[in-house]
Amino acid sequence: MRKTLSFLFSLWKTNLLSAMEYRVAFLLQVFGMMLNNAFYFLFWVIFFDRFEQVNGWALEDMFMLFGVVAVAFGAGTYLFGNALHLAGIIANGELDYYLSLPKPVLLHMLASRSVASSAGDFLYGLFSFVVAIVVTGEFSTGMLARYLLACVAAMAVVVGFLVLVQSLAFWIGNASLLTGNAVNAIITFSLYPITLFDGTAKLLLFTVIPAAFVGALPAQFVRTFDWASLGQLLLGAIVFLGLAIVVFYRGLRRYESGSAIQVRM
Amino acid sequence: MSAIQVRNLHKTFQTKRKAAGFGGSLRALWKPDLHPVEAVREISFQMEQGELLGFIGPNGAGKSTTIKILTGILHPTGGEASVLGFVPWQERQKLAYQIGTVFGQRPQLWYHLPAVDTFYLFGKIYEMEEKALRQRIGYLSEAFEIEHLLETPVRKLSLGQRMRCEVAASLLHKPRLLLLDEPSIGLDVVAKQRIRETIRRMNEEEGVGVLLTSHDAGDIEALCKRVIIINHGEIIYQDKVSALKRRYLTSKQVDVRYSNALEPDFAIPGVEMLKVGTFGAKLRFDVRETPVERVMAALASAGSLVDVTVSDPSLEEVIRTIYES
Repeated sequence: MRKTLSFLFSLWKTNLLSAMEYRVAFLLQVFGMMLNNAFYFLFWVIFFDRFEQVNGWALEDMFMLFGVVAVAFGAGTYLFGNALHLAGIIANGELDYYLSLPKPVLLHMLASRSVASSAGDFLYGLFSFVVAIVVTGEFSTGMLARYLLACVAAMAVVVGFLVLVQSLAFWIGNASLLTGNAVNAIITFSLYPITLFDGTAKLLLFTVIPAAFVGALPAQFVRTFDWASLGQLLLGAIVFLGLAIVVFYRGLRRYESGSAIQVRM
Repeated sequence: MSAIQVRNLHKTFQTKRKAAGFGGSLRALWKPDLHPVEAVREISFQMEQGELLGFIGPNGAGKSTTIKILTGILHPTGGEASVLGFVPWQERQKLAYQIGTVFGQRPQLWYHLPAVDTFYLFGKIYEMEEKALRQRIGYLSEAFEIEHLLETPVRKLSLGQRMRCEVAASLLHKPRLLLLDEPSIGLDVVAKQRIRETIRRMNEEEGVGVLLTSHDAGDIEALCKRVIIINHGEIIYQDKVSALKRRYLTSKQVDVRYSNALEPDFAIPGVEMLKVGTFGAKLRFDVRETPVERVMAALASAGSLVDVTVSDPSLEEVIRTIYES
């Protein structure tokens, strides 16, 4: 475990060093993404200014929701950035590099890229969490611990879902379009108030597009502790990560490599 | 114990065929036309510890597929293989600690970073002690003459410099076996020579076995003691390099240019004149019948030499000769 962590930290450090070779581009991407999130959130500020509540969901809930989703998505795609590129990596035969080195191929591959703009998501998420605390006036160390746990669980679902969808590339070849749709769907639905959905739609958000595990459920858990939410959170994280690992390694047996010329960025 | 043992190794890929144009794409969407392609067909061979073995063949012959199976990257369709006592596709991680790999078309160095950063990352990947890693980097950078290149971003290195750093990276963890897939691809003559010399030195000093694939017969001639030639997924020849040279690498081709005009009927006895121009000629001769020095002396006496290039027969010619014989 210690060796694995040390290896992961080295990879993340190398990613950062690589990004810092182009400092201005890196910083522009980080601040650009923060600005992008702020403009997106402005829509909800205007919306709740007019309607105040949607089935009991208010602006402070949106701050907390953004606080969790942006941190989970930002941390997930910064630390495991290749989760966004896995389909292309499989289709282009780029797994060869990871398969020729003595580390778990999925973990190594995922952590070998950090998406610079994700750092912007992460920072914006933290900012949104702080705003939620200020607006509601609620804060305790327990809440902070729940926030950390909720973000880690949501991050596990995000990464697991991305790996799961993109591993389809082992069977269907180029799954990039499908991946793009899946990423958009999970981001979009995780940022909507969960109270908008019920019945089948809600079921879909806990299964096919597990946006509820990334947004509403962890956000509610941060504000109020209950064992059922904790159980659901952990179960969601374990199921989606577990499924992702199983499907990826099943697919890996079908891996056909390739002969394209590549570079390691 | 053998370093590599391969028995009846077989690999078949399913490839999709599609007629040209939009109609073809639509038909392929509705009913894909899948065909099996046998990349490797029942090959068997053995390699001893510390041996320098050449694995050559033209593009698409099955060399890279074989190397990828032997490193655990690909699962074979059939057959058996053991590399340093491990079944590669079942014990990939354990095997990876014992072998080094270089794929000419797949750099392992991080493109935007200096090579030394990748070296330190590899130290973590192979779980090396900090002090041992530093010593190893020092030793390899001296051996590969890359001390002055270590802190330059890889994107700024020439292909030859980058390849020296690539091979050095693959040797950081003192592997027992080095698998090199086309390490000299795209390199000029001088860069090729430097890579070959360093690989030979590492073999002599550390006893690391080398399995080298190439479509350049010169790599094998300069480095290996034994050679396997593969074509269309089948081994068509395996023997000592000296035997290959004696039997098949017997002819030399010479391209020569002069500053003065040549006689139109310029010829050398025992030499096939492929082309004679005003200021140059292309000729071929069999070294068993016509000594090299006699040809060179005749060429030198024909005029004022500007340039001379001597080359071996291409691999395709060697393979053709093997088939014909």
